Amino acid sequence: MFYELNDEQNSFRKKVREIYEREVSPLVEEYERKETFPVQLFRILGAEHLLCLRCPKEYGGPGLDKVSECIAVEELNRICVGIGAGIMVQGGLATDPILHFGSEELKKKYLSPAVRGEKIGAFALTEPDAGSDASGIRTTALKQGKGYRLNGLKTFITNGTICDFVTVAAYTDPARRGTGINLFVVERDDPGFSVIKKLRKLGNHSSDTAELAFDDCYVPKERMLGEEEGGGLGQLEETLKSGRLTYGARSTGVGQAAFEAILSYAKKTRRQGQPLSKSQAIRFILAEMAMSIEAMRYMTYRGAWLFDQGLASMKDASIVKLFCSESVQSIVQKTMTIQKNSGLRMDNPVQRFLCDGRLSKIPEGTSEIQHLVIAAGLGL
Amino acid sequence: MDFQLSDEQKDVQRAAREFAQGEFDPDLALELDQSGKPPESLWKKAAQLGFIGIHYPEEFGGQGMGLFESVLTIEAFCSADSGIGSALSMVDIGAEVILKFGSKDQKERFVIPLAKGAKRMSIAFAESEDGQDLSSLSTVSERRGNEYFLCGEKRFVLNATLADWFVTLCKEPKEGWITLIVERDREGINIHPIEKMGLRMIPFGDLDFREVRVDIENRIGNGGEGMAHVHHCHQVMGLRSAAQALGTAQGAFDRAMGHAKQRIQFGKKLSQFQAIRHKLADMAVDIEVARWLTYKSATEYDQGKMDSKFLSITQLEAGRTLVRVVDEALQIFGGYGYIAEQAIEHYFRDAWAIRVELGTEEEEKDAIAKIMFGPDSIKK
Repeated sequence: MFYELNDEQNSFRKKVREIYEREVSPLVEEYERKETFPVQLFRILGAEHLLCLRCPKEYGGPGLDKVSECIAVEELNRICVGIGAGIMVQGGLATDPILHFGSEELKKKYLSPAVRGEKIGAFALTEPDAGSDASGIRTTALKQGKGYRLNGLKTFITNGTICDFVTVAAYTDPARRGTGINLFVVERDDPGFSVIKKLRKLGNHSSDTAELAFDDCYVPKERMLGEEEGGGLGQLEETLKSGRLTYGARSTGVGQAAFEAILSYAKKTRRQGQPLSKSQAIRFILAEMAMSIEAMRYMTYRGAWLFDQGLASMKDASIVKLFCSESVQSIVQKTMTIQKNSGLRMDNPVQRFLCDGRLSKIPEGTSEIQHLVIAAGLGL
Repeated sequence: MDFQLSDEQKDVQRAAREFAQGEFDPDLALELDQSGKPPESLWKKAAQLGFIGIHYPEEFGGQGMGLFESVLTIEAFCSADSGIGSALSMVDIGAEVILKFGSKDQKERFVIPLAKGAKRMSIAFAESEDGQDLSSLSTVSERRGNEYFLCGEKRFVLNATLADWFVTLCKEPKEGWITLIVERDREGINIHPIEKMGLRMIPFGDLDFREVRVDIENRIGNGGEGMAHVHHCHQVMGLRSAAQALGTAQGAFDRAMGHAKQRIQFGKKLSQFQAIRHKLADMAVDIEVARWLTYKSATEYDQGKMDSKFLSITQLEAGRTLVRVVDEALQIFGGYGYIAEQAIEHYFRDAWAIRVELGTEEEEKDAIAKIMFGPDSIKK
């Protein structure tokens, strides 16, 4: 039974917090305002061995487990959810499929530079008409000569404008709905690949989100993940499972940041002549926030531990994502309302916590999709 | 008891809807939200059509209708666009104080230009960091002959950089609490703009008064009445904010309905999924409750029998509805809801700004309980 982080994990938390506070915190305001990702962070965090945490040592990665990754994700998102998005994709959706299904050559070619932060990765599944319904994608990769020609449009792609390579899902056999999909690694300079536009968002301003186009984009067969045509969505199972657990840590991180902000606000603010912290209603709210964060954190770590043991089902991962992404909403919302007008100020991070935290209910399966997955996992 | 709108009210509602739906261009709304500029030409048009000051007496430029008709207008405006609608609803904050307590001369000098769309008015009451607490105020206006000399700082003033006049709460050592109409271009006024996350067409700012000279003719009513002026103004603003909340919730709902009818995932329209249908049913229930509470409060106000407890109930429920409905609407849009190209993105930010205007849930509950248990019931 797993109840507490061990000494090694606790000192890892301490170490990453220190690094993030030193390297990331000073960038947040500027890059949130500019609505761009601080790309220099890739090399900085690469040098600190804090990219692609689960990537094995043989490809240059730190070879850590999912629990450690969740600790790091929680700490980074406590500082900035937007920056956390770009770093998360680098070590998750963009590189996980290469690690699990790519050839030795692809792993050497893409993982090692990704780990060092020399190359930035993205992942492209979602399309304008296919979000929740991933098998509804229309991008095709039709065989031609010694490779495939990709055609289609992808949207909401994190690291879209700054990526050096993107792992793309496309139909090699459009007639086989759901099963005729493969994953390909497309490089930034491949002819036919282009960034259509950068998207402005409610929150996560420092994360880079774009719409990408593949217009007769030729990719050699060696850059397809796996030998056989088909099975691409199945290859994503483990990646999505891991990603949903990561969302538990992301929600916990931003929840923690909001909680710390409102706790100190309640302690130092006086209202109607008395300290805000003496209001019974406020004390109840803070007590409930503390309870939610504990529950979120331990659900996430339990899920991550199960994942490390090879025991986590998709249902387990969806439970973590749904619970955490829903629980964080009331934390960021109440943090906002209690501060009244001052909560609306752009120079007060609580408005950022609200808009950043709001994202959690959408990517890697909306809350509605998580309900469906859990229900299916119940044998319904 | 009659729950029908009169023919005249139906005409007002229809005219407001036609104007808003015809003139509030979605691209213009996005552009103004992004640049933080007010909807100048729409403000002039709204005034020409008699929507600004619809509830002022005819002799002071209004249409001689009630606050109920003003509520119908605001609701229609905000459902067409939360940002433009709110901006047009907040060009004459404080006019109520002059209408109820001011002299005929003041009504002619100040109220008529508001109705014409020539001038804007706002209020400067609070000085606390949250912009709402009135328990500790230090703005002083010392009377010397026929002039007051105003010194102090006011926080989070709506339309700080746009309003021509501020109804300002201050204390005169001998006269007690008073309100003065202060012209923005007076010497000694400094305005510090504040960037905020929602309702960006209505700029916030802190006002700094240093020995600002105000003519005695600009004092509203009598000495010692200041807090009564504030109370009256807050009641009217509470009602109008409830109407903004109602309209904004309705606008988000309408957009979510439109999206659900047209978006196809898994081969079905979203509107064919039970979970989505039930979400929209819940939203419809919430909106109806908020609507009838708001209409009842407005009717009571116009009949001169405003019930403070009922107004607090209205504000509390309108705020809850607003946040729940807009949040669910964004969720129905999924990833698109998070992107600034969709109106729902600024509806979300605007909803939180309106939510703050309505006061915190805790304060509304305090107000309701105080009336239920009696004013001194909490003391030992």
